[in-house]
Amino acid sequence: MCVGLPAKIVSMKNGTAVVDATGARREISTELLDNVEPGDFVMVHAGIAIAKITADDQEETKSLMDALEA
Amino acid sequence: MEEFITLAHGSGGRKTSELIGNLFKKYFANDYLTADDAAVLPGLSGRIAMTTDGFIVSPCEFPGGNIGKLSICGTVNDLACMGAKPTYLTCSFVIEEGFPVAKLEEIAAAMAKTAKEAGVSIVAGDTKVAGRGQVDGVFITTTGVGLIEEGADLSGAYAKPGDAILVTGDVGRHGTTILLARDEYGIEADVTSDCAPLWGTVKSMLDETKDIHVLRDATRGGVGTVLYEIAEESGVGITINEAVIPVDPAVAGVCGMLGLEPLYLACEGRLVVFAPKEKAEALLTVLRQGKYSESAAIIGEVTDDHKGRVVVRTPIGSETLLPPPGGELLPRIC
Amino acid sequence: MDTRALDIIRGYNGRPIRVMEVCGTHTHAIFKFGIRNILPDNIKLISGPGCPVCVTETGFIDEAIYLAMEKGVTITTFGDLVRVPGTEMNLAGARAKGAKLKIVYTPLDAALYAKDHPDEKVVFLSVGFETTVPAACLAVKKAKEWGVSNFSLLTANKTMDEAYRVLKGSADAFLYPGHVSAISGMGILRELRDEGISGVVCGFTADEILTALAIIVKKIEKGEPFAENAYPRVVADDGAPIARKLIAETMQPCEATWRGIGTIPGSGLELNSEYEAFDARKVYDVPEMHGHPNKACRCGDVLMGRIKPHECPVFGKVCTPEHPIGACMVSSEGTCSAYYKYDLG
Repeated sequence: MCVGLPAKIVSMKNGTAVVDATGARREISTELLDNVEPGDFVMVHAGIAIAKITADDQEETKSLMDALEA
Repeated sequence: MEEFITLAHGSGGRKTSELIGNLFKKYFANDYLTADDAAVLPGLSGRIAMTTDGFIVSPCEFPGGNIGKLSICGTVNDLACMGAKPTYLTCSFVIEEGFPVAKLEEIAAAMAKTAKEAGVSIVAGDTKVAGRGQVDGVFITTTGVGLIEEGADLSGAYAKPGDAILVTGDVGRHGTTILLARDEYGIEADVTSDCAPLWGTVKSMLDETKDIHVLRDATRGGVGTVLYEIAEESGVGITINEAVIPVDPAVAGVCGMLGLEPLYLACEGRLVVFAPKEKAEALLTVLRQGKYSESAAIIGEVTDDHKGRVVVRTPIGSETLLPPPGGELLPRIC
Repeated sequence: MDTRALDIIRGYNGRPIRVMEVCGTHTHAIFKFGIRNILPDNIKLISGPGCPVCVTETGFIDEAIYLAMEKGVTITTFGDLVRVPGTEMNLAGARAKGAKLKIVYTPLDAALYAKDHPDEKVVFLSVGFETTVPAACLAVKKAKEWGVSNFSLLTANKTMDEAYRVLKGSADAFLYPGHVSAISGMGILRELRDEGISGVVCGFTADEILTALAIIVKKIEKGEPFAENAYPRVVADDGAPIARKLIAETMQPCEATWRGIGTIPGSGLELNSEYEAFDARKVYDVPEMHGHPNKACRCGDVLMGRIKPHECPVFGKVCTPEHPIGACMVSSEGTCSAYYKYDLG
């Protein structure tokens, strides 16, 4: 229902940030997040950052599978 | 003072002659381009290919080219896809009243430069001016003839099971460039159009082997559309390997933001090549030495089954259908 | 490559399991990765109603066209809605007849456009679930701060909480939509677990989907209801509190009609009284419109997972992505569109 794109925060100013997704850059809103800074990865949907991304999917699925099999 | 095209430039009178003399003749000059009603040309001995194409693009300048370069590449590449060395070309302009002369000059210069690189002479032309708002800037139509290389026998209907499929470079760059140049979505990326004349690329492949079945330039509709066309015209199935399709990361990023598929974005300097599997590596080696095909790749093969369809082998080892082409490309959130 | 998840899925030999991917982005991803084709016969994936375009009623498109054609409004919208059929025509058809239509990447751009074009009346078509609604809320909040009075929303927003309850029983477990959960958090899903509704929050890469399915298999084997988070790199346990606060400040729950499902109390969001000056229905006095979808279209049954698209009489024949009859064929997330585009069968 909602396509999200992971992107890296390049710079921030007044609740907005410029994000970079493998070379494509756009200004988005970061007003919904209170704990992000340049260098962080965020999930972008419809021009706003909806979540901070804390790991890549390989690390995530590996630890989920470790836990499932433990 | 900045000069603009006026309706008088299209009247056939003095202004028209001035425009042709000062601008088009200056750039396009060659022995065949005269003031006569038609170009008189030496005969070509052998099989001849002939094609025509109209060009409208907004904006008419973009990173990597302009409509002039595009109008030469498009026709030259269509000829090249039949194994024909582009030889003569005509061009017809419809220019909007008020179009800056300096811009028209840039367009003519790009046409001349590209024609020279492609080895083609612009032997005749026509200029019309339309009232403001009747056309968008400038529209160009080019028509070309070329001499088919001895031994080349190419057609969209000739793909055979067992053929390998190559693309001569990364996909979707022209479409992405135009999308960004229109600046409708506030996205920036360092992407330039792949627009290029490809006779040299084709010649290098034909010098390696004449045993090539299909060449097609992936323009409007992109590589995905070409694959479906060939599957249909040759009555074969196609399987491609998703992981090896070359896509520039920035193109992938733009597509990710807007929910678009790079395989369906236009290219203007990319060929899709179908040739027997045993020739594929040699062709790839040749292509990777060419200046417009350094990122060439073998992306799939022709099969006997799933005729008329294009199947994608996914990175997790499963198979799925490449969505058939269709409709206006619209950015999406879902 | 870590094949543990796939091994668990392929090794499953218990009773048949039906898993509903609620979210249309999952439907799309599952087809794109070819995941259905590598599942054993006893694990069935069914597609749910989680595509905001697909569950939007025909009457909503009629309202938008009314605003454009009768009230001279500039319609701003996500590209997704442009080809959704209304009763008479779609927005692309209205554009051909002179309607002013602007496709935007974000509602914030629609608000900015209104600010920059004070002579135009600008309406944004606000569809979407919890994930998308905050962007629309932010747009009206900005418009209010800027004193922009020529901007409003035509709303058809939906929320999932009540919909999950309505869908109870249509599957053994849900693949919960990752980006909706990124906003609403795990709390609601634990409430659902206590009501006997099971599911796993899932990301959108092939590995994430396979991992979530493996967790579902293992949990079902255990036999207890469950609510797991298999997308913790994006979904925080408490979701996005700032986003929820923003929604609460600008919108209020309302009854919503879901195409194919019917009316679900409290499953919609409309602007609250403080923001009613930004409610296009009130600003332009839009008459009530119900819309008349094509009767042959069985989108509703498809949305509920009751039939597969090829069981619909118009699927693939008169209803194709170029000439869609139902919304499920329009949206690239729509179940019909996904089957039409990707199905090898």
